[in-house]
Amino acid sequence: MHEKEENSNPYLPEHARIVRKYNLSSDVRFFQIRYVDMDRALTMKYLPGQFMMFSVPGVGEAPFSISSTPSRPGLLEFCIREVGDVTSALFKLKENAIIGIRGPYGDGFPLDDIQGHDLLIIVGGLGAAPLRSLLLYALDNRDDFGKLYLLHGARTPEDMLFREEFLEMMERDDLNCLLAVDEDPTGKWKCHIARVTDLFDHVKDIDIENTYAAVCGPPVMYKFVLEKLVNIGIPKNQILMTLERRMKCGMGKCGHCVVGDIYTCMEGPVFSYWDVLNMKGLI
Amino acid sequence: MRVLWMEKGKLKEFFYSMKAFGELWGPIQKGKTRIYGKAENFSDLKLEPGRTALPIKKLIHPSKFTMFKYDKQEYSTKLENIPRRVILGVSPCDIHGLLKLDEIFLEEEPDPYYEKRRDNTAIIGISYCKPCCDSCICQSMGTDVVDEGYDLFFSDLEDFYLVWVGSSLGDDLVRLNPAVFHDDIDRTKLEKFVECKKERDKLFACSIDMDVLPDIMELSYDSPIWDELGDKCLECGACTMVCPSCNCYNVIDEVYLSEGKGKRFRYWDCCIFKEYSLVAGDHNFRENRGERLRLWYGHKLNSFGPYGRPACVGCGRCVDACPVDINVLTVARALLESK
Amino acid sequence: MLNKKRIGIYSFTGCSGEQLVILECGKYLLKLYEVVDIVGFPMAQSKNTIMDLDIALLEGSITTESQLAELKEIRDSAKTLVALGTCACYGGIQSMKLGEGDWKKRFQEVYGADDKLYNKMKPMESKPCNEFVTIDYYIPGCPMDKGQFLHTISHIINDTPPHLYPFPVCTECKWKENDCLLNRGELCLGPLTRGGCGAVCPSHNIPCVGCWGPAEVTNMPSEYKLLLEKGYSQIEIFRNFRKFGGTPMVEKLKNMMEKLR
Repeated sequence: MHEKEENSNPYLPEHARIVRKYNLSSDVRFFQIRYVDMDRALTMKYLPGQFMMFSVPGVGEAPFSISSTPSRPGLLEFCIREVGDVTSALFKLKENAIIGIRGPYGDGFPLDDIQGHDLLIIVGGLGAAPLRSLLLYALDNRDDFGKLYLLHGARTPEDMLFREEFLEMMERDDLNCLLAVDEDPTGKWKCHIARVTDLFDHVKDIDIENTYAAVCGPPVMYKFVLEKLVNIGIPKNQILMTLERRMKCGMGKCGHCVVGDIYTCMEGPVFSYWDVLNMKGLI
Repeated sequence: MRVLWMEKGKLKEFFYSMKAFGELWGPIQKGKTRIYGKAENFSDLKLEPGRTALPIKKLIHPSKFTMFKYDKQEYSTKLENIPRRVILGVSPCDIHGLLKLDEIFLEEEPDPYYEKRRDNTAIIGISYCKPCCDSCICQSMGTDVVDEGYDLFFSDLEDFYLVWVGSSLGDDLVRLNPAVFHDDIDRTKLEKFVECKKERDKLFACSIDMDVLPDIMELSYDSPIWDELGDKCLECGACTMVCPSCNCYNVIDEVYLSEGKGKRFRYWDCCIFKEYSLVAGDHNFRENRGERLRLWYGHKLNSFGPYGRPACVGCGRCVDACPVDINVLTVARALLESK
Repeated sequence: MLNKKRIGIYSFTGCSGEQLVILECGKYLLKLYEVVDIVGFPMAQSKNTIMDLDIALLEGSITTESQLAELKEIRDSAKTLVALGTCACYGGIQSMKLGEGDWKKRFQEVYGADDKLYNKMKPMESKPCNEFVTIDYYIPGCPMDKGQFLHTISHIINDTPPHLYPFPVCTECKWKENDCLLNRGELCLGPLTRGGCGAVCPSHNIPCVGCWGPAEVTNMPSEYKLLLEKGYSQIEIFRNFRKFGGTPMVEKLKNMMEKLR
């Protein structure tokens, strides 16, 4: 009988500092954070699509997708919408404040499988949070991927997360950046005024059979986008999406993220469209 | 496996000699119910067929406990001191329940709270020549016998015990009083064991056809049965609380009056509760009670990923607990009849 | 703490049990006096005010015009309003006949037909505080639980949201490993009642009477049918449902009867 080492408790958050924060839209805020322990900050490994648990003592914990790319180590980035107790508490914190983080958790995008293929990244609303990570990763490792498309839909230009960043990306020759808004009250929007599904008309010269699609957005978006992707012939197991669930632990113990007979935090949050058809209740 | 035998009258002596290991626990009577509790005296123990209100999980994965305290951003790292315990008289289904919880709490990132309690607890199982009660379904679930998950296992064969040594710790326990154990198991003892098992196998009053049920569950996803059950279910959570394979918990932060101090604690949660799958922004992934029941019974009778098989260990506690008769037996019957 | 929060406890119609619970908080009461300014606490001090409150704690239900006026004044003066105990949260036992027949007639049956008393007191049917003003947090119970009170008040003082998980009495009753009284045929309201009490009555072999008020999510039609099957009369069942059920129960019963029709 031996006593376990007591300092390896995976439930204990590690300290991180809020380096920068600013608003991405009226209710979504960008958080750039860094582990207080510099070694940890530089050696931390993660994959696009993975998430972390944020901890605010006295309020609790909540999961957030990582928006930064592991190809740019040191800083972790998140975009967070103010919807619950933990997010409200995070919004109140100022730059340089200390928070607790745990992770990364979940299975990220299967980069090994995607590499060498064309990639469509289809974003609606807060879906930018996990997919920005994948996009930046693909751009940083551009030679590993075939054709690269970003199809990003938002309600208005004001609501488009990372708007300026994506607008600048339109200059790039190695990315087809298609941005659309449903309506433009400002009258200054220079890109598409359309639904995200309409943007597919501008997707050309991709090798359909050898294309991966990564989708994330509000529940209503999935139905139309998935139908579109299947119709143009992308194999269902190459259509990937990341899904949101309630989570308390992040490591397959508390049960809250369960769907069917699996834990989203362990088997997901990235799933293929085939998984969705196979496991009822995923979306 | 090392197998020994013990005269019936010697268990008392052995029980007290295990005090050298730690606290002595076992099934005892509390009011009208039997519970796993601390046994000051051997006579407190109810070593006879019957079931405790809560399974053994309550001692390894307690219903409510503090995970850690914090002071500003500093978290206490020291785990609560858990005294070493021997639990004598754990039923086979409860041991199977623990084996299932082990898959959740000890695999991947081990849960230190569970692991410490598990490590500090010696499990001594017991089985009798009769089923525990009329609502036992362990035979159908294949959990009426165990071959791992215990340190010692006593087969009560009326005038003597066969004692199976299941772990190195079990062997240490035997060495606390080797005089009460014998290793000369003769043919009559062996025959008695076989005869007793055969007799017991005939006595189970309930069964579920597990050969077909998982497939029927799969095919009954859209069955109206779930809404009918949802109309009836009281949403009281009793079934999940008493279930040996239910692992779910909720986590809550509590601040103290002193500024900046507080604790994070957890307690058993229940997927039948509406709040369970609610995410921020008030979206609920399982809005209807019927959907929530389907999820629970899907895990218990069809499959649960982390366990790789149906989670039900056939203890029959939900059969006794549910005030409106929704339990593995009635749900299985309803599904089998409606196919 | 630089700026201590100003807190007051105010009492309407009830047994003042919540003030008593607070008084029984022992060392935590002393701590509470350390971290906040308690400017209103009729059971503990003689100088009380409702001026400039950060947090007002309310106990009791509203039963007279003058109480209503005071309640509104407190709402205007306080940043955060907390209802303590079942009376303030749901109306309490004095609301069990809410809406049943002519109010003045019922009042005068008990207190005499003298209009003078009625006109002087301006009595109203007992109703919970949230019928008249917005309540920010609820701590139900008859009386409330010391632990839940300290949890909630500590969170509010520290500007973090309190969290009283909405499970029914049965959950804690199972944790206590009690024999199920409902299964034994008793008229137990455990499945319908907000938990947090530690299932104290069933632990002493007494069926739950529902004194923490109705749980948010319940399946009342099913419990009702079950009790009918167990041989209880509709009158008896409804009387028990309504005993502590207050205003939410009136609504729930109405919905149930519509559903059953």
